[in-house]
Amino acid sequence: MNFMDWYRADRLPTIFCVGCGNGTVINCALTAVSEVGWKREEVVFVSGIGCSSRAPGYIDADSLHTTHGRALAFATGIKLANPDLQLVVFTGDGDLAAIGGNHFIHACRRNVDMTVICMNNQIYGMTGGQGSPTTPRGALSTTTPYGAEEGTFDLTALSIAAGANFAARWTSYHVKELTNAIRAGLETPGFSFIEAAVQCPTGYGRRNRLREPEDMIEFFRTHSMLRQKYDRLLAEGKLVPPDTIVVGEFVRRDRPVLGGKK
Amino acid sequence: MSKISFIQGNIACAEGALAAGCRFFGGYPITPSTEIAEHMAMKLPKVKGTFIQMEDEIGSIAAVIGAAWTGVRAMTATSGPGLSLMMENIGYAVMTETPLVIVDIQRGGPSTGQPTMASQGDMFQCRFGSHGDYSIIALSPATVQEMYEMTAEAFNLADRFRVPVFLMADEIIGHMREKMTLPDTVPVMPVRERTERSTLPFKAEKDGVPGFTPFGKGHHVHVTGLTHDERGYPSTTNPDVHERLVTRLVAKVESTRREIASYDVTNPEAETVFVSYGAPTRAVWQALHDLKDDTVGHFRLKMVWPFPDWVEELFPQAQAYIVPEMNLGLISRELERHVTIPVISVPRLGGALHEPEELIRAVEGAK
Amino acid sequence: MKLVIDPRRCKGCNLCVKVCPYRIFRPGRRPNERGVVVPELDRPERCANCRLRRLYGRTICGVCQLTCPDQAIRWEEEEAYEPRKVAVEY
Repeated sequence: MNFMDWYRADRLPTIFCVGCGNGTVINCALTAVSEVGWKREEVVFVSGIGCSSRAPGYIDADSLHTTHGRALAFATGIKLANPDLQLVVFTGDGDLAAIGGNHFIHACRRNVDMTVICMNNQIYGMTGGQGSPTTPRGALSTTTPYGAEEGTFDLTALSIAAGANFAARWTSYHVKELTNAIRAGLETPGFSFIEAAVQCPTGYGRRNRLREPEDMIEFFRTHSMLRQKYDRLLAEGKLVPPDTIVVGEFVRRDRPVLGGKK
Repeated sequence: MSKISFIQGNIACAEGALAAGCRFFGGYPITPSTEIAEHMAMKLPKVKGTFIQMEDEIGSIAAVIGAAWTGVRAMTATSGPGLSLMMENIGYAVMTETPLVIVDIQRGGPSTGQPTMASQGDMFQCRFGSHGDYSIIALSPATVQEMYEMTAEAFNLADRFRVPVFLMADEIIGHMREKMTLPDTVPVMPVRERTERSTLPFKAEKDGVPGFTPFGKGHHVHVTGLTHDERGYPSTTNPDVHERLVTRLVAKVESTRREIASYDVTNPEAETVFVSYGAPTRAVWQALHDLKDDTVGHFRLKMVWPFPDWVEELFPQAQAYIVPEMNLGLISRELERHVTIPVISVPRLGGALHEPEELIRAVEGAK
Repeated sequence: MKLVIDPRRCKGCNLCVKVCPYRIFRPGRRPNERGVVVPELDRPERCANCRLRRLYGRTICGVCQLTCPDQAIRWEEEEAYEPRKVAVEY
């Protein structure tokens, strides 16, 4: 079965802007889900609020589009009440790291059996491009008109520190690798976290000299660095550019799982 | 065989929930409701249910809503500050028509207030606390027996109307130990569940309530807090869709308020009528006993919301209503909207219950 | 197999132009009735999936379809392109 069969065809095209990377990540996630062989009746897609969180509305399966930041808490309830259901959570950087930060670390700590895909576009897209906890230092947004001054969250590192069983980061340029990472996440029991850097040409790129969608994809292509190479460079004491996106699989382990199949 | 027992209100509440088939509890410790969570933590695993202590009340209600969508009976218990945190997701539960039970053991507020003292300050919060127009059902127990029975009944109401149902108890009832009868079984209404997949999962039946479509049964239902049409798809800019949806969400509860109403009427020929709910009811009972005056009646609300606005039909000769409440007058204001004769509020703050003498003085003052 | 761009779904982001390793897409020239400049196909017979999907029984490459954020790219069953048209470029 092709991933296209998972879409609600009557809902397309999506509401996403021209060149938005969210659609790409949904494609990859649905490919991974169909590769794993899950049936529609056993998967529930959950999301919070934001651009990324519109994803479940386009998927022909049970889906819960919840309140801002709370997707993981809702998903925890679903999984614990019926462990036979498979949980896939779509979330964004603002949804997960800002308003939902507490639910995020606690879901990692509990190691609830679910797969969380965070579409990190480094901005609040739905509300028109405000700074988020992952907006890089110096980047312009409507609420950081003189450049972001705050530090950022490394979401993947955060999930590992909080106890997730699987963590990986890829970008919307690396569609095959992202699909494989999501598949590995789906197959790993416990909390699996996949961070997907996605382009937001409208909210982020437009203000940060990456106006066209292909500019942002080109940025992902040239600024991504495999984790192994990054670690090696660090060990050798070499300089790594600060805007490098370190990609790859970061952790895969077997901590005790909450909400596994009974 | 039913058995006589001497237990705390909070424990009776938890036992009532278990008897009604509640199999999921998501909660967060908060005085004075914690005993409910503790009892559920002990008992739920023994009946293959799930207890989870979430990271906060926002997470608790979220987990409960999630669990409810898998088709289990789910509840949470909290107090005022926790209820404030839950408000956004209560609105979500209303919008998505999720059946669940919220127990609020009220304490003195605002803010942290008096954690170990009773109050009835949340009676408007439960009804109007979340944003937008909506309607919910709220029950108010005055005895430990009612903590048990009303909790069980709350699940039936929640399933029937697909709304959050509140059990608005208070610290006095929650922490009071009293003799009660534990029945063998409680009435459990079957859930109206859709058997076949429908392309219109949110299309209401005659009574305004759509059949439930839990996850994992092949319904492929999209549940969203956005304004949605009968397919469940977001439709946020069409005024007609929003009006139709919100009107139905309110009407499905309000249009049945005469049928589901629950109250006790004592002495319908009375000229002076006490109106009470929750703990102050007990002071009224004592006052009526002490007064031995057949011109004094009692209208005791078991279901506060939806409010029975036909009070005047029940007490045609009433000259005044006296409303003792453990707040500065909330339900007395609601009553004022529906009656033409004076409503005398007898407020009480601080956590101590009204003295019967105080109520007797109020009757004398009203005459 | 034949590659088709659905003009009702395409929003004209040109990401397919960017990611296709065979460069079978090129930016369109004029907007369609929805005001979207849909990319054009440039010698699509070079697409590996068009040629080999039936032979291997699975999707070959498929990067454009995975990347397309608007689910506008699909393959339709059709007679294979004429073999003589296949020009492998080195």
